[in-house]
Amino acid sequence: MPPNDRAEKQAAAQQAVDILHEIATILNCHLDRRTLSICISMIENGISPEALANVIKELRKQGQQAQLDSATATAAAATRRR
Amino acid sequence: MASNPRNPRVSNAIDSLITHLVPSNPDDDEYAAQRRHRASFELVQSILDRPGSPVSSDVNHASDLIKRKLIQSNPSQALRFSNLYTRLLSLPVLNQKWAILYLLYQLSDSPDPNEPLPLSPPKPTAQREPPRPAERERRSRASTVVPTPEEAAVSDAFAPGGLKKLPTEDPKRSQTEERPQQAQPPVDGTPKKTVRDVSIKSTLLADNSNNFEPTEMGLLRDLPYTLQGLSSTTLPFAKETVLKLPPTLPAPIISLLHTLAEPSLLYRGLSTFVKSPAKGLLGQSLRAAISKELRSYLTLVATLEAQVRRALSAVDESAPRGGIGKAGVTLKRCVVWTREATMGLRLMSLIAEESNSRHGGQIISMIHGFSTSHGDPVVAAFAERLLADVTRPFYDILRRWIYDGELSDPHLEFFVREQSPHDEDRKESKAKGQASVWNSKYEVVDGMVPSIITADFAQKVFLIGKSLNFIRHSCGDSQWVDAYSKTSSKPLSYGDTATLEKWIDEAYKTTMRRLMHLMSNRFHLFDHLQALKNYILLGQGDFIALLMESLAANLDRPAFAQYRHTLTAQLEHAIRGSNAQYDSEEVLRRLDARMLQLSHGDIGWDCFTLEYKIDAPVDVVVTEWGNRQYLKVFNFLWRVKRVEFALSCTWRKCMTGARGVLQTSDEEVLQTWKSTRGVLAEMVHFVGQLQYYILFEVIESSWTELQTNIRKEDCTLDDLITAHTKYLTAITHKGLLGARRRQYQESLKEAAAAAAQHGADPTSTTTSSSFSSTSEDRNSYMVQLSELLRTMLAYRDCVDGLYSWSLSDFTRRQEADAVSMLQHRNKKPRLAGGASSSAAAAADLDDPFVTPSAAGVGNNDDSDLRSELPALQERLRQLGASFKARLQILLGDLAYQPDVDMRFLGVSMNFNDVYQPVKRKRAAASGGSGGGSASAAAAQGSQGQSQAAAAAGANTSRA
Repeated sequence: MPPNDRAEKQAAAQQAVDILHEIATILNCHLDRRTLSICISMIENGISPEALANVIKELRKQGQQAQLDSATATAAAATRRR
Repeated sequence: MASNPRNPRVSNAIDSLITHLVPSNPDDDEYAAQRRHRASFELVQSILDRPGSPVSSDVNHASDLIKRKLIQSNPSQALRFSNLYTRLLSLPVLNQKWAILYLLYQLSDSPDPNEPLPLSPPKPTAQREPPRPAERERRSRASTVVPTPEEAAVSDAFAPGGLKKLPTEDPKRSQTEERPQQAQPPVDGTPKKTVRDVSIKSTLLADNSNNFEPTEMGLLRDLPYTLQGLSSTTLPFAKETVLKLPPTLPAPIISLLHTLAEPSLLYRGLSTFVKSPAKGLLGQSLRAAISKELRSYLTLVATLEAQVRRALSAVDESAPRGGIGKAGVTLKRCVVWTREATMGLRLMSLIAEESNSRHGGQIISMIHGFSTSHGDPVVAAFAERLLADVTRPFYDILRRWIYDGELSDPHLEFFVREQSPHDEDRKESKAKGQASVWNSKYEVVDGMVPSIITADFAQKVFLIGKSLNFIRHSCGDSQWVDAYSKTSSKPLSYGDTATLEKWIDEAYKTTMRRLMHLMSNRFHLFDHLQALKNYILLGQGDFIALLMESLAANLDRPAFAQYRHTLTAQLEHAIRGSNAQYDSEEVLRRLDARMLQLSHGDIGWDCFTLEYKIDAPVDVVVTEWGNRQYLKVFNFLWRVKRVEFALSCTWRKCMTGARGVLQTSDEEVLQTWKSTRGVLAEMVHFVGQLQYYILFEVIESSWTELQTNIRKEDCTLDDLITAHTKYLTAITHKGLLGARRRQYQESLKEAAAAAAQHGADPTSTTTSSSFSSTSEDRNSYMVQLSELLRTMLAYRDCVDGLYSWSLSDFTRRQEADAVSMLQHRNKKPRLAGGASSSAAAAADLDDPFVTPSAAGVGNNDDSDLRSELPALQERLRQLGASFKARLQILLGDLAYQPDVDMRFLGVSMNFNDVYQPVKRKRAAASGGSGGGSASAAAAQGSQGQSQAAAAAGANTSRA
């Protein structure tokens, strides 16, 4: 879900995401732009950042678990699932 | 599912987050995927609903956290972050910037789930994945460690615990050597690993170990270049102090390369240090020594390279891990081989870094510190080896110094240094006249004394060189120095301390002996000291007496009427006429009489001074300051002597006169003479005691002390100077001269400092402290004594007046007698005969002079003379009383002197308790010493009994 739900401020939001993504890279957060956008929108909607961080860590763990369970064609499956 | 009333947007977001982060299994069917998704969703919900810890919603807080973290790990990125952060703040779109930042902070350095996927082959993902986070971590840590390898090495090698790295590495290494198949140390990132079977893992590891790129073989091939500090394709040096490791390597290899990077980087740093220009000779030798060590390191690298090449050519490509395990040369082995060299490099780079801020002897001290006080024997041995080379220029300078007496130290690295003329202390001592070639040419810089020699030893070395230099330049005996340096010069080097010490001792003895020999034989130092005592300190009595006698008439005239040629002529006369004529020519030609700066109204006595000219090199002992002290003492003694001379002249006149011209029948005049003689006798006694005290108690005893000090077997010039200074200060202090306290103490301090190596004299320090309390008193002694002397001179003048009055009275009477005798000559021709025949004869002699005046104004004179007597009497009594009062005050002060000799002076002056010593304060408070002086006068009456009796006897005989 791209961050275009606020179309009128799309340019500004795009810029914000750019900046935050760069910061994330500096900090070795391993967040891609999309995940970052989702996180931003969630936080803008009032989710506690700490909880969100826990969520992301947890989900990553799950993702790795899933990868171990089924090592093949991860990306393909992901697109299909969507 | 989402039971709580949550924003649908949030639910959507969670949905997409889950799908994005949790890859679904294509093998699963739709339902399973659904279920899994739901499970994840619920998990997420529960986490989100869990009450989180309250976080401060300040936007700055989160950014501060991030900034701090970045500064710790990666300073260059911190700057970039602050730029980004300001840009972010300026954006209007986001409301919860702090929260986003906080989220990023929480997620920072989190394990990356996605990155390795495209890089690694699909199958071993599970195994390859776990090391990645660790590796990332290492890499990020490496970026902090690598820029400052020296520091790291230093802090490791010289941390309180010593090289704490090694013990932890060793077991690991041995373990890996034993089990080459499990070469990779287990670095686990995920909990899943623990459930894996160890055997499977090891086989997997063995299979995967050669999967990395570049291969271990490639690394090994490049390793020798890296160790020499050269860039290679796999391991390029990014910067001077940064070695860039390929990002594709697994953690164990990375860690090995870290270990191997250390010597490489250290070598690079050291080779630049070696090439850098040195500040001094010791810096150069340090660089030379280090480059020697670096050469041996390069030899090691060359051997290593040969091994690597042989192993690589023999390697079996088809074997597991490229067969490298069997070739005998692995990265690990290289680490082991370079380990000792690494420690050496570490130490050297530490020394190199430290040496930048140090200079000369301090460098030696630093390296010596490693060799003696470092706990690790390897480090100590290494430093010791380094020291042998580094100290070479130091010993060259030392050799030049102790055998030639030359300071060839262009970079000021030696611990002896020429004093700079702008030094504050130096100026001060120069102003006081205490500077001399001996004391002020060179100085020891304590900070530069290397710890390889002791302070005592350094002092000796300093003395040797100084003496040689002195002999060569001030005594003009460079032949001896040259011969000496030729015969006894020995190459000095580090290591054999005992021999070195023996040689230095030998050199010390030889030099000192030669110097003393020169001083006493060629420059007649001891003769000069003796002459100073004889002439300036009035030791040669006959000479002084003759000089004073012949000069007395001359010196009574005003100062401006004194001429140098008359003075020198009289001096010459005194020398010829006394035992001084037998003194050596060397001494006599230095003796000179001259006038001091004359001030208006002075008479010759105040300005006259004897002078003893001292020239180089003896002036190092008798310094300008010493000369001034001598002059001070001379002037004081000369004054005392003059008073004594004047008093004795008058006394003689009175005594001879008493038998003739002073005879009178007038009871009042007789009484006046009697008391006058009494006071005169008191004064003579006082001056006699004073002179005895100064000449004998003070000067002679100090002289004896000086003699014992300087006649010692191993006396050095320094000892001599110290002894002489002590001698002079003792004289000036005890001789009541009241040298200003500060000066005295300073000279004492100086003496103590000079004598420090021979054991400080405790008595001198204690006395100096006790003197400080009485300093004002001592200053007043001089004033009191000059007052006393002045009083005595005035008294003497008065007595002379009385004498002339008596004489004229006598003449008048004589005249009257003559007249009556002329009238009765025929009647009583023999009346004036008998007892007073001599007096009559004297009167007869005077007749031709007296007759005209007596004939003219005889009768008018009579009343005038009569009226003069009471005035004279009054003045005599006044002066006598004031003398007594002053003397009592002086005695009062002396009685409370801490110095035994000075107390004794008081006792000997007042041996029969004639005087009542008065405490100054009481005297001032109770309005004079009326009672005291009255009783003293009474006592004095008894003391003057003998003279009175003598006078009475004369009177009666005349009657």
